[in-house]
Amino acid sequence: MSKNPLTPERPTVAPEEEPTREEQLIAERPKLSDWLELRLGWWGFVRKNLDEPMPAGVGWWQTLGNLLLTLLVFQFVTGVALAMYYSAGPDSAYQSVQHITNEITFWGINFGRATRGLHVWGSAGIIIVTVLHIMRVFFWGSYKKPRELTWLAGVFIFLVMLGFAFTGYLLPWDQKAYWATVVGTNILGTIPGIGHGLVELARGGQEVGSLTLTRFYAIHVMLLPAALMFLTALHLILVRKHHIAGPVRPQKGPRVEFYPYQYFKDIIVVFVGVAIIVYLAASHPPALEGMADPTGTDFAPRPEWYYLGLYELLKIMPAGWEVLATVVAPGIITLGMIFLPWLDRSNSRHPARRTWVVISGTLIMLLIGLMTLKGILETPVHPKETEQPATAQGTQASESNVSFVVPLRKRVGWKV
Amino acid sequence: MIALFNIVVGIAIIGPVIGFIGAPLEQKLKGKWIDVLGDDELGEGETKETRFTMEIKDGFRKTDRTYVIFLGRRNGAVVAFNPSCTHLGCRVKYQDEKKRFFCPCHGGVFDVNGKVVAGPPPRPLDRFETKVENGRILVRKEV
Repeated sequence: MSKNPLTPERPTVAPEEEPTREEQLIAERPKLSDWLELRLGWWGFVRKNLDEPMPAGVGWWQTLGNLLLTLLVFQFVTGVALAMYYSAGPDSAYQSVQHITNEITFWGINFGRATRGLHVWGSAGIIIVTVLHIMRVFFWGSYKKPRELTWLAGVFIFLVMLGFAFTGYLLPWDQKAYWATVVGTNILGTIPGIGHGLVELARGGQEVGSLTLTRFYAIHVMLLPAALMFLTALHLILVRKHHIAGPVRPQKGPRVEFYPYQYFKDIIVVFVGVAIIVYLAASHPPALEGMADPTGTDFAPRPEWYYLGLYELLKIMPAGWEVLATVVAPGIITLGMIFLPWLDRSNSRHPARRTWVVISGTLIMLLIGLMTLKGILETPVHPKETEQPATAQGTQASESNVSFVVPLRKRVGWKV
Repeated sequence: MIALFNIVVGIAIIGPVIGFIGAPLEQKLKGKWIDVLGDDELGEGETKETRFTMEIKDGFRKTDRTYVIFLGRRNGAVVAFNPSCTHLGCRVKYQDEKKRFFCPCHGGVFDVNGKVVAGPPPRPLDRFETKVENGRILVRKEV
């Protein structure tokens, strides 16, 4: 019988060495950690992360990624808890949120309000930390070769977060939620040609109704979390593969391991970040306006604070040019972010050697910041200051029209 | 070969889902005449906020939804304005003393005939068809 050429040669087996006494014990009565290590290799994974080499000069600015990851876990956990009580229907959504806010108590503590507060304030915190994280990467030029895809995954994570914010806003089905969604979906209608179809597709019909609510809910709790998990995993894998970019000017000194030097900085920032969210959730529980009323003519809708820049831009756009504010400007900024690593041709990461990119980015950030600030300053603190008073149903409407803005303005004492 | 197989499987999954999600785009609207106000309740030059309720199909359920319209009489004819601002859909509010419709969102202002006088709205307020029958004002609403 001829020999099959594809059959590999039998390897020469080295004689087995005598196992040590320790190895024998592990084989006979392994500890749980050894048992798991043998199957998962978890300690190797942990060690790899703890021993992650950090370039000299890395410090507090590099803690934002971990804070963001922690806040995402917070959102996931509180979101799952809220979904256990929430009911996505026009006849039940508002009542279920009222139930969550006022009636879910345990040991005399209102855990419903606390959980909803953590979720709402957590979402605001995530937007702030994400923007800071993006700014750090932008000004440090950390998106440059070989970290282009790390940046790209981060940009898509940011877009997914904005999607979370937009779809989550409707779920309480109160006046603010309803009218912000009417306006938000109408923005799609400004896209030439396909706008009207997109509005109907987003709403599930002509009007904001039960199909809009179920669509937004499905996207908020299924589609976006799946996308976020994939993108976050990709982002982290790439961060581990290419490591954290050091300071703009490489500093002298040996690389240090993540643990303990950077780890403790991360712990402090995560602790402070979480403490702020918990404090805000406890001291400023999110408002619930009156139930969504499509007939209401006495409600002045305003979006959540992170969309106020766009809201203000829409005010100053002349008739017929709103597409510039709704599609063109956000589209250019998004495309600019996506292609930034390839638009920036400079070999240097130093801001002074990336002049046009840094100037353009700074101007755009200033414009968005100023527009947002204008929106914040024009947000009425008390209902009597509103152009139209809130509905009688909105017992807590005075607390906030824009959850982040009003407590901030009350605290700082800003006046229009 | 593997790519082709994946494309076929992908289409098998995504195809029906796209049709399922996109189904509302095929929704055909039907016009329905609704009795909203007595003809004698609307004076010349007057503008009135009026509500009417009609049964609509909202997803799987049939429900009564209340709508708001602004009825006006201009040179003897009845006009019905859609209260949604033509900019981005916020509800406009009529101020009789100023004879203007104001949008609270982005500052759109319309005159008594629904024409844009200020702000970013790209066109006048939308109108519903109206008719008067047996002393009652009827408005045609598409649902």
